Amino acid sequence: MPSAPSSRPTPPRRAAIVGANRIPFARSNGAYARASNQDMLTAALDGLVARFGMAGEQVGEVVSGAVLKKSSDFNLTREAVLGSRLAASTPTYDVQQACGTSLQTTLLIANKIALGQIESGIAAGVDTTSDAPIEVNEGLRSVLLAANRAKSTAGVLKALAGLRPGQIVPEIPANREPRTGMSMGEHAAQTAAAWGITRQAQDEIAAASHQNLAKAYDRGFFDDLMTPYLGLTKDNNLRPDSTVEGLAKLKPVFKPAGYPDTEATMTAANSTPLTDGAATVLLASDEWAAERQLPVLAHFVDAETSAVDYVHGDEGLLMAPAYAVPRLLERNGLTLQDFDFYEFHEAFASTILATFAAWEDPIFCKEKLGYDEPLGSFDRSKLNVVGSSLATGHPFAATGARIVPTLAKLLHEKTDQEGSGTARGLISICAAGGQGVVAILEA
Amino acid sequence: MTATDTERSGAGGTRTETLDSAPTLGVLYGRALLTARSGGSTLPDRRLELVNVRIDPDAVADYNHVCGFSVGGDVPPTYPHMLAFPLQMRLMTDREFPLPAPGMVHLRNVISQVRPPGVGEPLRVAVHADRLAAHPKGAQVDLVTTVTDEDGSTIWDSRSTYFVRGAPAPAGADDAPAAPPEPDPHVGRLPHAIWTVPGDIGRRYAAVSGDVNPIHVNGLAAKAFGMPGTIAHGMWTKARALAALAGRHGPAFTVDVVFKAPVRAPSKAYFHTAAVDGGWDAKLVSTKGRDHLLLTLREG
Repeated sequence: MPSAPSSRPTPPRRAAIVGANRIPFARSNGAYARASNQDMLTAALDGLVARFGMAGEQVGEVVSGAVLKKSSDFNLTREAVLGSRLAASTPTYDVQQACGTSLQTTLLIANKIALGQIESGIAAGVDTTSDAPIEVNEGLRSVLLAANRAKSTAGVLKALAGLRPGQIVPEIPANREPRTGMSMGEHAAQTAAAWGITRQAQDEIAAASHQNLAKAYDRGFFDDLMTPYLGLTKDNNLRPDSTVEGLAKLKPVFKPAGYPDTEATMTAANSTPLTDGAATVLLASDEWAAERQLPVLAHFVDAETSAVDYVHGDEGLLMAPAYAVPRLLERNGLTLQDFDFYEFHEAFASTILATFAAWEDPIFCKEKLGYDEPLGSFDRSKLNVVGSSLATGHPFAATGARIVPTLAKLLHEKTDQEGSGTARGLISICAAGGQGVVAILEA
Repeated sequence: MTATDTERSGAGGTRTETLDSAPTLGVLYGRALLTARSGGSTLPDRRLELVNVRIDPDAVADYNHVCGFSVGGDVPPTYPHMLAFPLQMRLMTDREFPLPAPGMVHLRNVISQVRPPGVGEPLRVAVHADRLAAHPKGAQVDLVTTVTDEDGSTIWDSRSTYFVRGAPAPAGADDAPAAPPEPDPHVGRLPHAIWTVPGDIGRRYAAVSGDVNPIHVNGLAAKAFGMPGTIAHGMWTKARALAALAGRHGPAFTVDVVFKAPVRAPSKAYFHTAAVDGGWDAKLVSTKGRDHLLLTLREG
């Protein structure tokens, strides 16, 4: 294992996960088509404030972000807080780490709490693919910028004379890696082919995600994690009756480049859809929670962020968690099997299956991780037990703040049922740009 | 354009003409198309040079936007070709030059860089022709460029091989020394990037390079010269490939590229790279598996 310390200094204290609130996630251009990032984030924050009686209160800070963000939203979180019922004196900042955004904001808040710099904080994330920023194309942009730089009317007219009809076509953000020209799906298809991930295995993950999410709604699991918004009370991507047989009928897409003999295996069901939504998590010191007689669902133990060279380095775009998790385990003296729950963000069903395959592969574990023994497999019945991104949808920056409280509540339920003992869970999120964020929670 | 200074120098007795400004390429292409050539059979014994050339940061920014380099970093290793190309064209559009310039195809380009030239630094850019040779389908010639700094040190040189289909192998061409073996990149099976080559890339690169060769900017003209349609400039594909490797190599290196099947505009192509001992190998391949560009970059 390259340069991973085998243990770490004990942190001063562990941040507690107190509770959360999100709005239901909505498929793109549907229920939330008219809502902006700021609208959704404000709604999710206000729901959290209402749930925990924090109207007019100042928390240590609110950290949030969005992946698809208009330039006018530079202070998105601050604007949302100013429009929320939190005290206007609550400081904020914005973070963007693609799909890892709000697990990273959770880590940032947890670290400040652990160091005693703040006593409470809200980690959040929001994204809309419906109200996406539209840019003018590069040709028009350079003409307009040149006109803007011109000092005289004649100069402005001269610059504008450079306009061409083709320049009026706008550019809509694409889910594409700038350095490879490949969409995330095309990258995932390559990784799926490299690891021989079958269509059947992917559809099993997708069907389980929908079935588990449906069961969780049925037992009221999300009642204290969610507030209705714009007429939605549930994630509208959920198809409770999803079966492997039904999903097998969908047409596959994303034929993997460089594998002329490999059939496409990815479908609209085993890939996450574009989604709108916002999610928030309330973290605090144990003392802060106790003073307000608020529960502590779980504690934030540790986290690791990693990146891989998917550009020239022959590693898959979404494989960074395969490197982050072993480092995190090693630092905390744990094995892959030492968890009660595994919350793996389902960017694509094939992504998490490729990650599992890598950990079971002695060659990958030897050559890439430097281990003599593979990490091995784990009990899949503990994976995404209340559904994950394939069923809920995936508003990029909001996914971490959906998963953290989901796992915290699962851990809390388990220790509650058993009356004693510790429950431990692992979170893994892959992100565009070849990055990954993973974390351990305990209750 | 006028020759301001002519002198004979060196053992070869090559005549060096120092120009006071870069020739205008559109004018040269026009003249080449309209003027009857006398079609000499040997290479002109001349070297054209520009002195006190200063790289303009705005021109580099325009070039970087088209080729994918980041603005404000080192001057791209392919950029000095922008300074040299007008001189190359001035040599090749002369009545006495043995091969016709219009429809010429770039076959190979080798650049050796000692250090990147600085923006605004006074540079001397010199160009001469070399290695007129037979080609199985015509004839080819090399244009050699050197860029020297104020101290007279060569900081950059390149050798461009141009091919003219159907041109008779000129007399004396057999004497030309053989070119070194072509680059032989070894890359993996999986593409690292899928290039989307825009339909207007020929015009856009022409705008920043001045290279208005009709095969890049006009579909009918391209067909007249035996191309399937407008094709991307070879040096654009080389520049874009190097932009993809930015940050992955040091300032001193030799990058050798052969241009195989032309890249049509628009089209898609697969770009493969591999880190190898001492540098990088790369290939641009069509979606049907035909090689477009073979590249080796070796440090030092």
